[in-house]
Amino acid sequence: MLQAFVSEGIKPFIDGVVTFGAGHFYISQSDKGGLVFGGDIDGYNSYAQRGNLPVIEDVCEGGMALMPRIGRVRLLRHWGGIMDMSMDGSPIIDHTPVQGLYLNAGWCYGGFKATPASGLCFAHLLARDEPHPVATAYRLDRFARGAVIDEKGMGAQPNLH
Amino acid sequence: MRLTCPFCGSRGVEEFTYRGDATVRRPAAEAGDAAWVDYVYLRDNPAGLHQELWYHGVGCRSWLVVTRDTRTHLVSDVRAARAVAQAEHQAEHKEGAA
Repeated sequence: MLQAFVSEGIKPFIDGVVTFGAGHFYISQSDKGGLVFGGDIDGYNSYAQRGNLPVIEDVCEGGMALMPRIGRVRLLRHWGGIMDMSMDGSPIIDHTPVQGLYLNAGWCYGGFKATPASGLCFAHLLARDEPHPVATAYRLDRFARGAVIDEKGMGAQPNLH
Repeated sequence: MRLTCPFCGSRGVEEFTYRGDATVRRPAAEAGDAAWVDYVYLRDNPAGLHQELWYHGVGCRSWLVVTRDTRTHLVSDVRAARAVAQAEHQAEHKEGAA
């Protein structure tokens, strides 16, 4: 489960998306002035469709470490959604053993941001029945072949990514 | 979410670390590739009861087998992983003797 948060509207002060890799936090500001931010996932299997307090605390700590001046902004609402975590943290764009059925999944929590590129690669695969040059490694059988794409070097456990 | 550790009592989930499905078992060394791929990479992801390993790192440092409903986070059972492994071992031993 991934949670995202929206604060009350404030004057403009962030004009892009800021990502904090060391603590896992990202933030941007909407046109209405609300800060939109998020961070880590629960780390355990869940279909509960709701957030929880320990992760809210963790995300807010990440925000305070990066940007202490947002500390007194009040939270307006938050959202919790299911994430399709793959075992190595990388997505799968491939054929399946079923003829005519294709897979574009396992985006963990990077799906929204990667949509323009993943859509292009997926469309290429559907139209030509061969993978786009950029996406040749994102195969469904990469686990069985020992060709996992463990970008962070964390190991084959979804809760590590 | 809170977990009732058999040694420490009811504790907040932030004291624990998750390790996934508690029902997977290491295959024999000579088992084929398919069995090993299944063991390392393939997991069921049920919407319902799920047996899973949790480590009580901030408490007694025990590994626990928790039975939780993944739709509601309702925890129906928490047992020490050691006790679960011993019970399994005894059951296997009995089967072998019979």
